[in-house]
Amino acid sequence: MIGRVSDANTFEFFQRRSVQVQVDIRRLQEQILSGRRLLASSDDPLAAGQVVRSNASLQALAQWDENSEFGVEVLHAQDQSLGEANDLLVRAEEIASQMASGLYSPAQRAAAREEVHGILQGLTTLGNSELAGRRLFSGLALDAPEPFTDPDASGYTAAAAFTGSTHEFETTIGNGGDRVRLTTNGGTVFGGALQAVEALEQALATNGDVGGTLAGLGTARDGLAAERASVGARQAQLTTRASQVKGLTAQEASVRADARDADFVVVATQLAQAQTALQALLAAAAQMKDNSLVGLLQL
Amino acid sequence: MALLPALDIGRSGLLAAEMGLNVAGNNIANVNTPGYSRQRVALGAIEPYADGTGALIGRGVRVRSIEQVVDPLLDRRLRSLISDQRQSASRSDQLERLAGVLSDIDEPSLAGAVGAFFDAADAVARNPNGGAERETLLGAARSVAAELNRRNTGLGQLQRGADDRLVALVREGNDALQRIADLNVSIADAESTGQSANSLRDERETALKDLAQTLGIGVTEYPNGTVRVAAENGVVLVDAGVVTRQLTTQTSGNGIDGLPLHEAGVADANGNLLAVPGLFRRGEIAALLDVRDGDIPEAQANLDTLASSLASAVNAVQQDVSAVDQDGGSTVAVPFFTGTTAAAIAVAITDPRRIAAARSAQPGDNQNALALADLRTTAQSALGDTTFQGYLAAEQARLGQDAAQAEDIARASALLSEQVQAQRDAVSGVNLNEEMTNLLKAQRAFQAAARVISVADNVLGELMGLVR
Repeated sequence: MIGRVSDANTFEFFQRRSVQVQVDIRRLQEQILSGRRLLASSDDPLAAGQVVRSNASLQALAQWDENSEFGVEVLHAQDQSLGEANDLLVRAEEIASQMASGLYSPAQRAAAREEVHGILQGLTTLGNSELAGRRLFSGLALDAPEPFTDPDASGYTAAAAFTGSTHEFETTIGNGGDRVRLTTNGGTVFGGALQAVEALEQALATNGDVGGTLAGLGTARDGLAAERASVGARQAQLTTRASQVKGLTAQEASVRADARDADFVVVATQLAQAQTALQALLAAAAQMKDNSLVGLLQL
Repeated sequence: MALLPALDIGRSGLLAAEMGLNVAGNNIANVNTPGYSRQRVALGAIEPYADGTGALIGRGVRVRSIEQVVDPLLDRRLRSLISDQRQSASRSDQLERLAGVLSDIDEPSLAGAVGAFFDAADAVARNPNGGAERETLLGAARSVAAELNRRNTGLGQLQRGADDRLVALVREGNDALQRIADLNVSIADAESTGQSANSLRDERETALKDLAQTLGIGVTEYPNGTVRVAAENGVVLVDAGVVTRQLTTQTSGNGIDGLPLHEAGVADANGNLLAVPGLFRRGEIAALLDVRDGDIPEAQANLDTLASSLASAVNAVQQDVSAVDQDGGSTVAVPFFTGTTAAAIAVAITDPRRIAAARSAQPGDNQNALALADLRTTAQSALGDTTFQGYLAAEQARLGQDAAQAEDIARASALLSEQVQAQRDAVSGVNLNEEMTNLLKAQRAFQAAARVISVADNVLGELMGLVR
């Protein structure tokens, strides 16, 4: 209980309170200008820790999203190549079926052989496909030499045509080493197809058993189809993951916003409140001189 | 009945009113003087005398004393609260700065730099032979090392600032001790000759409060008006007119910046530091010692733990027995980082081709880069089974909590101090309206006393006229 008030105390009271209100106003203005309620970790220690955690999560999610999208592009390009390879094998099977009848002349067989050789070259080209300078069927190696030997090269055999990287490229899409394989050993993917087409070409060249190559071509086409299915499955996995990551990113950004960002309605209201308080304080301080005998006595 | 005493009575009234005017004027003049205690005139009637009839007749008024209106208990309480308030405010200020130096809520931040490092590792994993990706990873690693170095330097500067302030406070404390001793002498001299030493007492109280900001003190007043000042552990610092123990410092150990820090204590007879436990339990020196020797080294140790753990984990991947660089060479002897403290950590690799992204010579192999990028989400046992960024988040919350707690304590302490200051001002502060009233009272008393003299003079004049 204070029964007496000194002038110094009264003025100090006004001074302290008005300084405090001005500090509050400055702080609210900073919040409005920066859009953040969290200006120092001591403002809300738990929220500060949450912001750091959310920032880290968002960084990781952004990488997983980028990795997923990169993977989808790679797998999409592979799928296209495998689709084309499948078409080539279908054509090779058609030729094999036609030539197996034995009704064609040597000239026609030679023409067919030439077409089959083109198919072999086509398959080789597909096996050597690139995406942004990286070999799709050779471990995604950058600026690497062609992994499949040119069929016109001397001593070529389909069995030994693949000389590229056997590394199966993976990418990370989640916590704890959650990875997806993006490439398959090129020799495994195209080896069977190349050997089957090479066998057909040899059969045509040597007037051999063309019909006997049909089974090999069928198996090779099944192999390509299986790889294509695998590519499609991984592509779907990555697309789903990218979608999940986008959702998680939105949630995490919302959590961070709750912890870090200012609510403009609340801050603007608080600012108006503080400004009113300051005006009232200043008005009260101005009244003080009128409550003094010094003023009343006209000294 | 004699008329001449009436003139003396009027004169005494004039003198008393004059004194009243002076004291009110002095109070008004000191309305804004820090530490000033208002004064008031203690008046008393002069002993009456007996006239020839035996009646007792008053002889006017006299000024008994000029009193200082103070409450010693409030002053004692205020000194104690000043020690607490200064200690908590200083601690809050220092911890706020500490949290600022280690802030991770704004960019650039250490957590952001660590995240960017793993982003870059991920980019290398996407394209292990990409020159740009490898350069970016090295750049991101340098940013992490630079941010750790910068934080360590920031902690060193903060510690140095606290140490410099400690040395300055010891000097200020000694100034206050000397002022108190000198004022003790002056007060004793003045009061022994019956003079008022009110303003000297105010000055001494101000010096005591200055000292109380530095360290907690106990004050005992002697009958002759001097005081004895002791630290909270009982060591006497001032006894009457003598500074019995000066505060002093001496270098002791090195700080984060490698330069010597100072230990504070009292000086022995030869001026050497005497280590006395419990000397600085309260006051600003206590806060500075707490932060300088406690909070800052703890934060640095945590930063070192992070630096060491990061370097060790990254080097373990880089130097894996199966890891190879871009030219297919083993990297077992090629660490990524050197140094295991925040101060010393640096990127060892200068040629981006030496980054081990693969674990075989197969083109496109990114297994080691994937392992490096996986460190982002790998719990580290050295960090209490949390990830690097999780550790930084926890550290951020801890520092923020410490600063917030210190701020709360400082606010509560300031409020308590303000309340007692208001109580003290209620007793000792000057109120202008009150003083104006005192001034008017003195003015009217003066006018009335002058009137008494005037009337007595007129009456005497009449008498003199009768004689003529």
